[in-house]
Amino acid sequence: MADSIRLRVSRYRPDTDPEPHWQEYDVPLRKEWTVLDGLNHVKNEVDTTLSFRWSCRMGICGSCGMNVDGEPRLTCATFLSDHAPGPVTVEPLANFPVVRDLVVDLSDFMAKLPRVKPWIIHPDDHRTVEPDVEYLQTPEQLDAYKQFSMCINCMLCYAACPVYGLDPEFIGPAAIALAERYDLDSRDRGERERLDVLVEHDGVYGCTFVGECTRVCPKHVDPAAAIQRYKLKAAMETVKAFLLPRGAR
Amino acid sequence: MELERHEYDVVVVGAGGAGLRAAIEAHENGARTAVVCKSLLGKAHTVMAEGGIAAAMGNLWPEDDWRVHFRDTMRGGKMLNHWRMAQLHAQEAPDRVRELEDWGALFDRTPDGLISQRDFGGHRYARLAHVGDRTGLELIRTLQQRTVALGIDVYMECTVTRLLTGPVAGGGAGEEQGITGAFGYWRESGRFVAWQAPSVVLATGGIGKSYKVTSNSWEYTGDGHSLALQAGATLVNMEFVQFHPTGMIWPPSVRGILVTESVRGDGGVLRNSAGNRFMFDYIPDFFRKETAETEDEADRWYEDKKNNRRPPELLPRDEVARAINSEVKAGRGTPHGGVFLDIASRRSAEYIRKRLPSMYHQFKELAEVDITAEPMEVGPTCHYVMGGVEVEPDTAAARVPGLFAAGEVAGGMHGSNRLGGNSLSDLLVFGRRAGLAAAEHALKHTGGVALPEAALADAARAALEPFDREGGENPYTVQQDLQQTMHDLVGIIRTASEIERALERIAELRRRVADLSVEGHRQYNPGWHLALDLPHMLLVSECIARAALERQESRGGHTRDDFPATDAEWATTNLVCVLAPDGGVSLTRQPLPQMPPELAEIFEEVPG
Repeated sequence: MADSIRLRVSRYRPDTDPEPHWQEYDVPLRKEWTVLDGLNHVKNEVDTTLSFRWSCRMGICGSCGMNVDGEPRLTCATFLSDHAPGPVTVEPLANFPVVRDLVVDLSDFMAKLPRVKPWIIHPDDHRTVEPDVEYLQTPEQLDAYKQFSMCINCMLCYAACPVYGLDPEFIGPAAIALAERYDLDSRDRGERERLDVLVEHDGVYGCTFVGECTRVCPKHVDPAAAIQRYKLKAAMETVKAFLLPRGAR
Repeated sequence: MELERHEYDVVVVGAGGAGLRAAIEAHENGARTAVVCKSLLGKAHTVMAEGGIAAAMGNLWPEDDWRVHFRDTMRGGKMLNHWRMAQLHAQEAPDRVRELEDWGALFDRTPDGLISQRDFGGHRYARLAHVGDRTGLELIRTLQQRTVALGIDVYMECTVTRLLTGPVAGGGAGEEQGITGAFGYWRESGRFVAWQAPSVVLATGGIGKSYKVTSNSWEYTGDGHSLALQAGATLVNMEFVQFHPTGMIWPPSVRGILVTESVRGDGGVLRNSAGNRFMFDYIPDFFRKETAETEDEADRWYEDKKNNRRPPELLPRDEVARAINSEVKAGRGTPHGGVFLDIASRRSAEYIRKRLPSMYHQFKELAEVDITAEPMEVGPTCHYVMGGVEVEPDTAAARVPGLFAAGEVAGGMHGSNRLGGNSLSDLLVFGRRAGLAAAEHALKHTGGVALPEAALADAARAALEPFDREGGENPYTVQQDLQQTMHDLVGIIRTASEIERALERIAELRRRVADLSVEGHRQYNPGWHLALDLPHMLLVSECIARAALERQESRGGHTRDDFPATDAEWATTNLVCVLAPDGGVSLTRQPLPQMPPELAEIFEEVPG
C-alpha cells in the first residue's frame, strides 16, 4: 500500500470565491484511516481554514455526511483504503446549498421536519403523563416501527434523491420515514393528520421510486419502503372517499 | 460594531438533553425561551449515549425503588455526592422517563409490554430504560422534535463566549448584580450576536477535549464551566474526572471511542492476556459485601439477582478503570495495550446482535472485529467530569443570580464518581428543574436587565484578537500539547510532582494562547473557533489540576499514587474553585452538606 493518498477537496468561500474549486492535499494512507481522519489531518496540520462538520466519529450523530467519489457517505465510516489509490474526491452533500467548503445549509430539512408531526398524537382524552402509568407496547408492536426510528438525520438520502434534486419542495425520504415511524407506533393516533400532509402536492407523490435513498442509508432505515406504504395508504383513502359516505371513513 | 441583538426571558446554552429539557420546561412555564448551541440541533453529545436512563421504575425487579437507587448513587460516588441532588434524582427519574415516553420516545419492552430495564455497573437492580445501545439518539430526537413542535427559537452553530452581568431590577429585593444576557458569534458568518435575558441556563456538557484519549467530541471544551467561573460562580468537585473503563484502543484513529457498559451488563467479562477474569483480584472492601467472590456466583447473578451477588466487572467505573490500568502496567495487557472484553464466548451471536447492534456495527466497521466471534480490546478513556458549577439542588441555581446549570456542567450530583445510566436521568431531572427555576426568576425580573454596552464591545474585541496577530502558533499545536499534558500528568493515576509540572505547563500554554494567530476570515473558520475555545480549556484544566493537587487522598475519579487511601477528613470536604481577582483559580475547602437522618438510615436498612 502506498503511504499517502490524495484528497481532492471542494473548496468554496462565498466571500471571495465566485464558485467552488478543487484543492488537493496528500494525506497519510493508513489502513484504519477514514476520510474524516484525512480531513482532520488537513485541518489540524496543513490548513486550519478547511471547513466541515463532524462530531461523534462513531456513525451516530449524522454530522459528517459528504459526497465521496460522487457518493453520499458518512466520512467517519468511509475508509481511505477503500478508495485507494485515489485521488479521492470529497464534495459537500449534493442537492443542498453550500455554505462554505464542505458545509451545507440544512435549514430546508429543519423546516420540513415538523410538518410531518414527528411526535405521538394522542387520542383526545389523553392529556398528560400520569404518575406510575406507562404505555403498554409489546416487543412485536415495537418491532413494527423500530427500523424507521433509526434515522440519524445525516441527509445522505436527500443528497442521493434525484427527485429532491429537481424539486426542493419534495418533502423527502427521511421526513417520510419519520412520519411512518409514528404511524406504525401502537401508541399513536395521528395517521390521518400525517396523511393529509403527505398527500399534498409535494408529499409522497413526488417520489418516482428510484430507491437511491434506501441504498445510501447508513442505518438501513429503508425510506423507500416508507414512501411506498404512504402511496398505498393514500390510494386506499381515495378509494374509500369514492365508495363510502363521509361519516364512515 | 455590527451586532445582532435579541431579547428573551431565558437563554439556554447547549442543546443536549439537559439544555433541551430546560428549554421545554421554561417555555411551558411562560418564558420566552431561546436555545443556543455550537452544532446543529440533534447532534449534541447526548446522541452518543448508549446504555440507558437509570430510573427505579421496578419493571423487572419490584424490589427496586428510589431509596435503593439513591443508595447506589451515593455509594458509587463514595458518599461525596450532594445528598439532596441524589435524592431528587432518584425520586424523579421514573417520572421523567414516562414523560419522555409520552412525548414519543421508544424503549425496548418486556414481554408484558412494559419498558425494559438493563443491568449496569453499581446499580443493584436492572434499572436502565433503554433502546438497544442507542438510547441517547432516541432521547435527543424526542426532545429535539418537541422543541421544534413548541416553536422554541434555536440558534444553531452559534458559540457563546461571554456571560453578561450587571444590575438587575425587580423581584422585590431592590437592585442586585446578576445575569443580564450572553454574547457570542455565529460559526457560519463569524458575526456577533447578543441575547438580553435575566436568566441563562448553562447546559454545555463537559471537558473531555482537554485529554488526549477521550470518548468526547470536539465540542467538549469546558465552555460552560469557564463561563460560569468568569461570571462569578463557583465550581465544585473538579478533581473528579471519570475515565470510562472500556474505550476502543485500536485502531488509533478510533482510540477513545466508547464501548458501552451494556456489554458487561449483558454478560461480557474482562480478561487479561493470560485469559484470567482479573476483576476478582480488585474488589475493594467498600464493595466486598455486595460483589460475587467466584465466577460461578457471578454468572448465576444474571439469572437470579436475589440469591447471588454482582460480578466484579460491574463494579463502579472508577474501580474497573483503575484495575485495567494496573493489569496493563503489570504487563498483562493485550497487544495494543488494553485488556480483552469478551462477550462472544458467553452469549449467542443472535443475542449480541439484538442487544448491542451499534457495538456490533461499530467494531465491524471501524476495527474489523466481529464481537460475536472474538473479544474486543479495550482500555480507559476520558469520558465525563463529575465536577461542575456549584448549584442549589432544588433549583439548579448557581451563586450568580439568574445563572443556572444542569447536566454534566453542573457539579455535586455524582460526587467522586458517576454511575453509568445516571447521566441521562440527571439531565432530564435537573434540566427540567433548571428550566422551571430560570423561568420563575426571569418572570420576576422581566424588563429589569439591559445589555452592558462596554462589556459587549470588550467581548467583541477579545474575540477578534487572534486575527490581529501574525506569525503566531497554530491553535491545534497548543491544544495537542494541553491534551498530552493532562493525559500524562493529571490522568487516572496522579502524584504531586506530576500535577505541579502540569500546572507549570498550563501557565506556559496560557502564554502561548495569548500569542497564537489564526489565518483566514471570520466565516466558518475552525482555527479561529478553536482559538476562542482554548482559554476555556486551559482555565478548566487548571481547576482540575489545582483541586487534584489539593485533595491528598484517593477517592472515586481521583487516584493519588502518593496518597492511595481514602481519608476520613476528606470524606466530609468539598473543594470549591473560584476565580481570583488576578484571573487565577483559587480553592477553598467547604464542608459537605449534612445528610438528614431519614436518608442516612437508608444505608443501614437496604441490604448491601
